Amino acid sequence: MLRTALRNVLANKARLVTTVLAVCLGVAFVCGTLVFAESSAAAYRAAASKDFAGIAVTVTPKQPPPGAGGEQAGALDDALVRKLAEAPGVAAARPAADGSATLNDADGRPLRAGKAWANLAAAYVPGQDGKDGRHPLVEGRAPRDGGELAVDSGTASAGGFKIGDTVTLATDGPVLKKRLVGIVRTSDSRVTAGGTLAVFDKATAQELYASPGRYTSIDVSAKPGTDEFRLAETVGALLPADRAEAVTGTAQASRQATYTDTLTRGHQKMPMVFAGVSLFIGSFLIVNTFTMLVARRTREIALLRAIGASRRQVVRSVLWEAFVLGLVSSAAGFVLGLGIASVLPGLLSTSQDRLPDGPLVIGPLPVVAALGVGVGVTVLAAWLPSRKAAKVAPIEALRADGRPPTATASRVRGAAGLVLLAVGGGLLVSLTGAKDASEANLQNAMYGCALIVVALIVLAPLLAVPVIRLTGRLTGRFGITGHLARENALRDPRRTAATASALIVSTALVAGLAVIGNSTGQALDRKAAAGLGADYVIGSRSTMTAIDPGAQKRVAATPGVRTAAGVADSTVFTGGAVRRIAGVDPATVGEVMRLDFAGGSLKDLGPGRIAVSATVAREQGVGAGGRVNARIGQNQEFTQYTVVGVYADNPTAGDVLGSLADVQRDSFLPGSVQRILVRADRAAVSKATEDRLRAAAGNSPLVQVKDRQALVDEAAGSLADLLTLMYGLLAIGTVISLLGIVNTLAMSVADRTREIGVLRAVGMDRAGIRRMIRLESVTVAAFGTLLGLAGGLFGAWGVGSLTNGAMKEYSLTPPWGTLLLVCLLSLTIGVLAAAVPARRAAALSPLETVADR
Amino acid sequence: MTTAPFDALAPHPTTGFAAATSDLSKVHGSGDTRVVALDRVSVSFREGEFTAIMGPSGCGKSTLMHCAAGLDSVSSGSVRIGTTELSTLGDRQLTELRRDRIGFIFQAFNLLPTLTALENITLPLSIAGRRPDQQWLDRVVSMVGLSQRLGHRPGQLSGGQQQRVAVARALVSRPSIIFGDEPTGNLDSRAGAEVLGFLRDSVRELGQTVVMVTHDPVAAGYADRVVFLSDGRLVDEMSRPTPDRVLDRMKALDSRVRTS
Repeated sequence: MLRTALRNVLANKARLVTTVLAVCLGVAFVCGTLVFAESSAAAYRAAASKDFAGIAVTVTPKQPPPGAGGEQAGALDDALVRKLAEAPGVAAARPAADGSATLNDADGRPLRAGKAWANLAAAYVPGQDGKDGRHPLVEGRAPRDGGELAVDSGTASAGGFKIGDTVTLATDGPVLKKRLVGIVRTSDSRVTAGGTLAVFDKATAQELYASPGRYTSIDVSAKPGTDEFRLAETVGALLPADRAEAVTGTAQASRQATYTDTLTRGHQKMPMVFAGVSLFIGSFLIVNTFTMLVARRTREIALLRAIGASRRQVVRSVLWEAFVLGLVSSAAGFVLGLGIASVLPGLLSTSQDRLPDGPLVIGPLPVVAALGVGVGVTVLAAWLPSRKAAKVAPIEALRADGRPPTATASRVRGAAGLVLLAVGGGLLVSLTGAKDASEANLQNAMYGCALIVVALIVLAPLLAVPVIRLTGRLTGRFGITGHLARENALRDPRRTAATASALIVSTALVAGLAVIGNSTGQALDRKAAAGLGADYVIGSRSTMTAIDPGAQKRVAATPGVRTAAGVADSTVFTGGAVRRIAGVDPATVGEVMRLDFAGGSLKDLGPGRIAVSATVAREQGVGAGGRVNARIGQNQEFTQYTVVGVYADNPTAGDVLGSLADVQRDSFLPGSVQRILVRADRAAVSKATEDRLRAAAGNSPLVQVKDRQALVDEAAGSLADLLTLMYGLLAIGTVISLLGIVNTLAMSVADRTREIGVLRAVGMDRAGIRRMIRLESVTVAAFGTLLGLAGGLFGAWGVGSLTNGAMKEYSLTPPWGTLLLVCLLSLTIGVLAAAVPARRAAALSPLETVADR
Repeated sequence: MTTAPFDALAPHPTTGFAAATSDLSKVHGSGDTRVVALDRVSVSFREGEFTAIMGPSGCGKSTLMHCAAGLDSVSSGSVRIGTTELSTLGDRQLTELRRDRIGFIFQAFNLLPTLTALENITLPLSIAGRRPDQQWLDRVVSMVGLSQRLGHRPGQLSGGQQQRVAVARALVSRPSIIFGDEPTGNLDSRAGAEVLGFLRDSVRELGQTVVMVTHDPVAAGYADRVVFLSDGRLVDEMSRPTPDRVLDRMKALDSRVRTS
């Protein structure tokens, strides 16, 4: 029977091509997204990881014990380096003075800024040969004094720097300007994956990141044959107790791995969602294609049965065929998938949010998935219909022209679909009263949406009849071709529904995400605009960096500025959670923030007295006049604070408001401010003022000057991921459903050769035949889109009711433009998918009518 | 009354012949596989006449019909429908010619399963974008006895009923000629007799021209004239045939084929 199977695979080339393409693309999408997921995770990990290869032990200064007070001079000096270098088992000891520095590119814009771990700075530490092995020079020379700087080649090309240029940069506080004298090479993956590296001379780096003559760490490498842990002990014994510690490279690597895992876990989610969705609709495509393929062969199978093949032989022959086909297509699909994986990062990167670069990582998962989808799904897809075909009495199959599904089957289907729909809908409706978007509620909402989509797919064959009758009113305007197109789409509702299922899934996802994204975005916009009284916000990039005090004075003195209120941002630990606290001056805060107090007021704010947001108040169970224990910033001790007011959630204010003095005392950079909220005279709000403010802030790459619009945009910025996800899903759905419709149409044209021949014989011209096939295709696409839209909108409404509980500005705002685009896209899919089958149908001769088959 | 429907066809000047071929040849393949299906066949079909084309299997009778009806291309010679020379027509003109001036009845009925009987009958008009002449439609429908079945789909009709729908479809656009390809081949003798009766009636009462390919002497007995084909050549013809005479002639032809 294997030979029969192989002959069958090769017998019908056109059929072979469409089927292979279906399996191949299904596999390609799954593998592509999986490989992309793993590669991008690896790249993120690399981007956040220091390479510990060759480092046996690292010596770092110990944190001074709490309460010791005062700055201690670091213990890592040249004397210690020499002492370590001479210790037994040590090959070399290399001191380092590392930190972070953010650069402006040649055009004055911050270069790859925003991720603290990616903007590195280091000291050029010459070894015995006068060169730094860690930073080999490519061009120019090493920096020699505080006015000079070297960068790595990647940074130089990204920033447009040439030797001799003056580079603007900031570590924290004031802006520095240095002359670029050298370009070095680095193997640090944090830099090569899309970061920057600035290299200073040793004295400058020590001054910036440690203290004169001291280092931030010493890396010790071991002589061959020396045990890492033994060496750590030896080194540890040489260190001044309490002031420095030795950690093995292995321990550091594992500590870092834990850290980067938590850091990068979020980035894996999106590609995995892609992979999951492609798997789902990819399987649909394969199942659908094979079901049709075997259904078409019912007659052939019946013939085999009639001449004496056993049921088992017939089924086995079909399975072998599916296996061979699946294996070959999976291999091709896998290769294609690697191609997809290599272009995805480029497609998904935006200028603000670059995906880190890195090599393709091919783990076992994509290979297993390729085989599972390509061979597993294919064989399964072939098994079910072939069993059914083998069961039919031979003579019945020889006669049959595809009977409609039996009444019981569709009744069971209807019942199952309705139950799923009821459960899914019920889950969503039950959430309308929910107060907050808690994890459990969100999960329920997701299950609800998934159930609804599954219910739609189950019900699709039954819904096909009424929905297509409805769309038939429109196609009917095209006269007899439209009428025939409608009837052909209705001929086998199950086939139509299966063909449309990929579109149902992708449209539902895209429509749902688009509506939620748009509604949330608008709510965030309203919220951001509502809470902000200031016209400009000058902010540092994190709580670890400060705006230099000189800048604050210059901003206040800028013409047109009425109020310039400094805000100290820090974290506060209270009620078991880390929250954002803003230290403000109660005298000026009213001008720059619009706070809506539900209880109490801001005028009592002062040392020991704080105000909290409504969310914090609810979660902590406190109101105005209550007391909470909290610790701010670096402070290790809890202090009791009196709550003087509760305000409506406000993104500008954050979770907690404290007095400026309270927050500044324990801030990570004591006494600093992280934001300056600027209220300008009404007439002075202009681009020119914004530029003056930027100049007043020293054009530092660490400082951003934003107007109201930029802030509002930023508030919605977290939705960028959602949009990327949406368009990615749209793309996958489009391609897969396109292929699905092409496949179905091609087969249905092949099935209907004789009918098309009749139409040609009784006088329909080629254009009419083409129009008929195109309209049929558009009808199927429109059906999928309508169902998907219905599901997506209902899901979005259900999820939206959750958001409404958490965010009172939320209202369901469908993005009509995007939804219209989705509809147009689906019509385009319909027209495109019909191109080849329509051409083939139009080329049929009227003689097909009388040809014996 | 019998001439009334012909007024509609006035734009086409008539020569007394609905269709004619002269020196028509059809060759399949080339070289070793060269097969001559038709060899310089010249035959005319008079208006208002019911002609049967007969001959043993493989004699080229179906090919002759396909060529005469513009369904197939010819290798040499000419085919005319009325005064229109088919070899000069492109695909679009041929399509329009089939739509407006030719009716077809096939052995396998070839109705569209998704359309009702009525929709199938009016299909050629729908394709042309014309409204059916209601009086004519009623007359055709009642003649083939389908008034009660117009809303049914082909799957719900018997073979005889389906072929009657096909006859009505062929008649409804008032073509200058109807070609039938073994129209009774898939029917039992009673249903076949009905369909042949309708075809004869359409010739007698409506003045229709009908050309039918058949291998059944009984079917040929309904025709006004029979032409005999053998090995791609026109070998004989007979007026006012009866089944017995046709059968005798066929036997003679058969034996001639065998002995030659």
